[in-house]
Order: sequence, then structure tokens, then C-alpha cells
Amino acid sequence: MGFIKLVVFGFIGLTVIYFSVSLYSRSVRKERLEDEFDAENPDGDRDARDAFVTAGLQAYDASIRPKLIGLVYVVPTLAIGAIVYMINAN
Amino acid sequence: MRKIKITFRVTVFLLIGGLLHYALPQHDVVRVVNTYQERQDLNDWTRIFWARPDDQSATLINRDVQFIQTVKMRTWLLGFVPRETTEVMVYRNEDTGWGWPFYFKFDTANLQTEADDLSSTAQNPQWAVMTHYGWRNEYFSAFPNAVAIRPIDNPNVTIIPWFNIFFFIALMAAVLFIRAMWRQFRERSVDPLLDAAEHQFDEVQADVAQRRGRFTKWLDSWRDNNKNRPVK
Repeated sequence: MGFIKLVVFGFIGLTVIYFSVSLYSRSVRKERLEDEFDAENPDGDRDARDAFVTAGLQAYDASIRPKLIGLVYVVPTLAIGAIVYMINAN
Repeated sequence: MRKIKITFRVTVFLLIGGLLHYALPQHDVVRVVNTYQERQDLNDWTRIFWARPDDQSATLINRDVQFIQTVKMRTWLLGFVPRETTEVMVYRNEDTGWGWPFYFKFDTANLQTEADDLSSTAQNPQWAVMTHYGWRNEYFSAFPNAVAIRPIDNPNVTIIPWFNIFFFIALMAAVLFIRAMWRQFRERSVDPLLDAAEHQFDEVQADVAQRRGRFTKWLDSWRDNNKNRPVK
């Protein structure tokens, strides 16, 4: 029962962290794309800017970076496994 | 206001510091004297100083707890500065199970056996490093919980707290990361909203000013235009 409690609350907590990190990473990428476009086209029109940012974000979604955020679930699980082993191994 | 702020910060710092001091692992150089087992009453507020090794233990009002009696090398400054003198220290030996604090300790019986195996006399001492968390308080009958024990040859051993070093680096990284996330959130989501609201507010104010201008003009049209004329 204690184990189930840990799994359930751990999963909820890690999910909150996962979504926060996802939103943060995407937002940083979007800001960088906007800055990039503005630096290259000081008086570019809005439609071209939106198209550039959308294409950049699509490339970001297809890349490996957002998938790496899944490590938020993997690393704590491995850490707990390592602690359980190290504390109880004879 | 400044005093309240400082008091608040000091309180938060002390609470978090106290929590970490209770829950993070510490190392003592000890000589095991004896081990024993004693029935403990758990039905008052000092329950918080005892573990919940499994689910049924949460509802029990008393149960047997194992203890390890030791003679311990004294230290200054959380164990960083060793001293030549000794004191007695009694550790409890309880499973923490899957709950708080997250040591995931299930090997209480093994640890008790290891401690028994290391017990020695003052004439022929066998020193050991005891890893533990928690506080000893005689008035509340609180005991630190032993987590691991390993034999050493020399009581003047240098212990590097690897876990705590790693923990504080990770804590610092987490704080900086949360701050970066918060700043990004403010810059990208909150500030544009505030700017929009401010803009709207400015428009409303300008509108009010214009209306007032019309109203004042209309009022002025009723005034006697010569009333404020300077007298020659």
C-alpha cells in the first residue's frame, strides 16, 4: 500500500514537472525563433514571421529534444531503484 | 515592513534547514556496545519521531522497536570537526519502507545483526561508521534512525558526505531552473497580459479625458467670458 501511494503521488508529481518543463522548453525555443527572424528581417511582415516560427516549432516537435524530457520519469525511477539496492544490499 | 520580511525569511530558512538536518543522512564514528528491543507507546504527538515501517504500523498504539547502543566520537559543526571526547548515543533501528523519509530501508533485521557482530568492549574497541538520520532528544524520547553501519580500523577516519554534496548541488540546480521557468512564464505570458490591460486602461482614461473635455467646454460656454478678464 505504501508502495502504491509512492507510485501514484510520484507519478502525479513527475507529470506536473514533465508538463512544466515541456512548456518551458517550447517557450524558450519559440522566443529564440522570433528573435532569429527579427534579427534577419528588421521590418519583416507578420505573416512571414508567423510562418517561420510555426515551421521552426514543427521542426522542434519532430526533433529529439522534447522526447528527452521523458527522462523526467526515467531518472527518478532509476535513482529510487539505486537507493533501494544500495541501502538494502548486504 | 522590513523587519517582518526578515523575520519571515529567517523562519522559512530555519524550517527548511531543520527539515533537511532531520532528514538528510549523517555519519557518526561509533563503537557498538549492545543492542536491545523495547516496546514503545506511539499514541501521542511524539509519534512523528517514529517510522511507519508498514501499513498496519500506522494504526498500532504500541509496538516493539529495535535499538543500538553505542559510544560515539563527539564532533563540532555537524560532524565536520572531530573531537577527542566521546559520548553515548542510542539509535533506533526501524524500516522506513516506501514512505517519508525516503531511505527505502527494509533491512532492519540485517542491520541489527551487523551491529551485534560489531559490538566490542572499551578495552578492545572495534570502531564503525554509523549512517543515520533524525535527532536524539532525551525529553521527547526521540532517537535517530540507523540506516547503515560499516567497520573501520581507525576512529580518526575522514568521511566525505557524497550524498549530501550531490543533494545540495541538485537542490541548487532545481532552484535555478524553477527561477528560469518562472521568469520565462512572466516574460511570455504574464507581462503581455499586463501590457494589454495597461493599454486598455490608458484607452479608457483617454476616453474619459476626452468626454470631460467636451463636458468642461459645454460648462465653459455658460460662463461669463468677461468674469476673469484682467482689470485694466
